[in-house]
Amino acid sequence: MTEKNTETDETENELEELQEKLQEIKDQEGIIGYILRGAKSASIDLKDPTKIIDYAVLSSTAFDASINMAEALQMGEPQKIVVESEETKLLSMNVNNHRLSIFMEKTVNHNNLYKNLK
Amino acid sequence: MDRDPSAIALNNAITEINKAYPDIKNSFIFTKNGTILTGDQETDQQTINNIQQSFENLKEKAKTIGNLESFTITTKNGKLTLSNIKDMHLLLATSKNADKNHIHAITQVIIPTILKTVEALAPTQPQPQLTPPKQFIVDTLTGFFAGDSVQIDTEILRDWTKNNNDPRARVKTAITGEPNTPENIEQVKIETFGGNSTLCKVKEINDQNMKGKNMIRIPEKLCKTLEINKGDLVKVEPAS
Repeated sequence: MTEKNTETDETENELEELQEKLQEIKDQEGIIGYILRGAKSASIDLKDPTKIIDYAVLSSTAFDASINMAEALQMGEPQKIVVESEETKLLSMNVNNHRLSIFMEKTVNHNNLYKNLK
Repeated sequence: MDRDPSAIALNNAITEINKAYPDIKNSFIFTKNGTILTGDQETDQQTINNIQQSFENLKEKAKTIGNLESFTITTKNGKLTLSNIKDMHLLLATSKNADKNHIHAITQVIIPTILKTVEALAPTQPQPQLTPPKQFIVDTLTGFFAGDSVQIDTEILRDWTKNNNDPRARVKTAITGEPNTPENIEQVKIETFGGNSTLCKVKEINDQNMKGKNMIRIPEKLCKTLEINKGDLVKVEPAS
């Protein structure tokens, strides 16, 4: 019981740490926002709230597509997913059993964000 | 897979690239409308279809951030890159140790250059019909069985067969070795010197006495519409 509580505490601490990092990232130039989804909860912070649903659907589709494709080609579990359009890009990854998607302008270096969060 | 000459050229290019870069595990190219142009021998059709389906779904949802340009997945074992090149999508699955610069060169320089070259050599749009109009002397077809088709000499119809004038078909024949099957002319455009014109079905002349006389037999009803009479001259060209 004590062990389980310690584990839960650790996970909560890691999550808090992640939230803090995300708050810092959010204020960086070119960051449009993020979606963090766990099994029971989700936190969304986007500059344009009207796009929440569209961005949430895209994030979920990116995860599903990456799993399907990696599985089809026997490449193992996806670690980093990047979707790029003409002006915007999306970085998605799994952090502490949460699905994280960060939306940003194309000029932002997503590799730096990935290293910071992993 | 598409056996178009450009697809064959692309297939050869992909094969050579795979040989030169052993870190490439899977590769294939498909068009925006889902047609698979070429792919490596290792990836089976079912796998390609699965990937294509997932990608199409993602492309649709990604419209919210603009037109999708690329999709990259990094896993423990390697990297999968789906790039948008002109009207096509290139998938490259590479091993973990693949050189980033090489992959960038392939997706951004080599394949786009090959596509441009292939397009220049074998244009995707069919060439316009090169056959000039021919002049014929009108003979009227009368009677119950006149029908609505005009009649022209077999030799002339044979000369007009579309593929004889299509350079793309000739390139295809040269590369694939497949026979260049001529397509029969089914319609012609008739133009009178009075400025009237019409499209109508065409058949071979069935009257032996009329053959080789540079004549066109036109049903009487159509002659009236075109305001022409027996013995008039008309310009005729094959229509697609």
